[in-house]
Amino acid sequence: MKGAIAGLVALAVLAALPPLLSTYTHNLLTLTFLFVSTALAWNWLGGFAGQVSFGHAAMFGLGGFTAARLILAAAMPIPFAWLCGGLLAGAYALVWGHPTLRLRGPYFSIATIGVGEATRLVLTYWDRFTGGSSGLSLPMIAGQKRLLYWETLAFLALVAGGTWLIRRTRLGLALLAIRGDVEAAGDVGISPTFYQDAVLFLSGAVTGIAGAMYASYFSFIEPNDMLGFDRSISFVLMAVIGGVGTMYGPILGAIVFVLLRQFLIGSYPQLYLGLYGALLIAVILFEPLGLTGLYRRAVRHAAR
Amino acid sequence: MRLLDLLASAVLLAGLYATMAYGLGIIYGVLRIVNLAHGGVIMAGAYLGWALHRWLGIDPLLTLPFVAAFGFGFGWALYRVVVRHLPRGAAGGVQSLLLLFGVWLVMRNAAYLLFSGDDQAIRTDWSTRALRLGEISLPYSRMVVFAIAMLTLGGLHLLLNRTFIGKAIRAVAQNPDSCTRVGIDVERIYAITFGLGSALAALAGILGATIFSFSPSFGTTELLKSFVVVVMGGLGSVWGTAAAAFVLACAEVFAILEIPSYLTGAVGFVLLVLVLVVRPGGLFGRKVLG
Repeated sequence: MKGAIAGLVALAVLAALPPLLSTYTHNLLTLTFLFVSTALAWNWLGGFAGQVSFGHAAMFGLGGFTAARLILAAAMPIPFAWLCGGLLAGAYALVWGHPTLRLRGPYFSIATIGVGEATRLVLTYWDRFTGGSSGLSLPMIAGQKRLLYWETLAFLALVAGGTWLIRRTRLGLALLAIRGDVEAAGDVGISPTFYQDAVLFLSGAVTGIAGAMYASYFSFIEPNDMLGFDRSISFVLMAVIGGVGTMYGPILGAIVFVLLRQFLIGSYPQLYLGLYGALLIAVILFEPLGLTGLYRRAVRHAAR
Repeated sequence: MRLLDLLASAVLLAGLYATMAYGLGIIYGVLRIVNLAHGGVIMAGAYLGWALHRWLGIDPLLTLPFVAAFGFGFGWALYRVVVRHLPRGAAGGVQSLLLLFGVWLVMRNAAYLLFSGDDQAIRTDWSTRALRLGEISLPYSRMVVFAIAMLTLGGLHLLLNRTFIGKAIRAVAQNPDSCTRVGIDVERIYAITFGLGSALAALAGILGATIFSFSPSFGTTELLKSFVVVVMGGLGSVWGTAAAAFVLACAEVFAILEIPSYLTGAVGFVLLVLVLVVRPGGLFGRKVLG
């Protein structure tokens, strides 16, 4: 209850902010909202279900390009185009995710490495759809950026609410059971395939919608930016920093990641891959639950 | 005769695939960990061979034992320093993936800083020539790579079946708890296995570097191909691995006829999904290490 109130207060404050913001902070906050949403969605799959994806950029990119094409080609209401992009991205995730999720073990994770790379290549060469490496430009509409600030914030609120729902309802409990012991879960009548497919679809769709909103906000998208290897890694890293499998850790992780990228990695572009890697190693070795784990430790320490 | 030509190059390529896949498979078979740093070790082997050839002028064939030893040492140290601390069981699966993925990223970045992102290749006087048998042309480099890969796999087969260490590795793969009871140092076997798997990866790297050009991201598709072969061939069986490597190499070589070249990397992936759908137990069924 306390958490819900704190969340609502935070939302209200953030929603009232725009008139006070510089363009730079405005962009940074909108970007953060989008990445917080994707980090939460990644964590549904990687944390709750224990199926780590190294290829979520594929859904981010597919959602972005689908929505952009729909906006350019048809006079479609923009939010509807986002939704279409998200649905297509979710369906795409199922195409390759369904066969690999059926198997126990790390098949899915390995497959994601290939999916991310293959999707990037195909979309880069398929220039009639994506504009190739010169990308796609969307028309700029006056006042759209301001509107998108609120829309991405509302989207984030939806995704955070969804996280709570998933965690508290049958879907989340089933996923935790499957993560703990696939065979035992199957024995008590929980179908691993069904629940993992469901969460993969949801996670892919949310990531796709985030990609679509990202496209609208920056009104220019390009395959190597949308679908690059580092894009996929960033989704993994946000959840890992915040705490894989925790409920709201990824929110904190995404905020830290955006700031880190802005201030640290932005100044050392030739080091970012190694820094991402070192962060992954450090978190997994020293505090597998990331910032959430550190917080819990501090609380326990204070209670003593 | 085009067909024979393609078939010959598929066979030669299969040797390389089998080597790198066996390296991934042996670690998974014994430790139940997918070594995502595998691609990084392949890349490191390629750069090590390239640097020794470029700066000291040593023929890559002569540096093979050194590169293999480097791979072994690297894998051994990786196990002792980091992998050892991971929890076993379901939670360890996710964590080992993330951790080894991190190791791979660091390796890629290190290679990028040391050697820049440019494409490199190992060119020797024998690697650019080919043997002509009527219509079939067999590049020497590919034949050498094939021969060495076969020797390595043969040696590994002997090691696993005829030596005490090899038998201990197979025993640990089957049941680590019982091994502790009969006095096998399981941790030591784990470290050795990680070393062996990485040695194979480094070997595959330097062998691959004499055929293909490479950059710091070299190893990504190789990791995937290794995985495809392990899934198709079943764990640990040398023959299954060889056969699966041949299937993958054939699929790739013949796909070149039909699809644009930038998509050939995706062939293995499509094959993987097909195999997972049709025969999730692997093409030849599963077999324990040996």
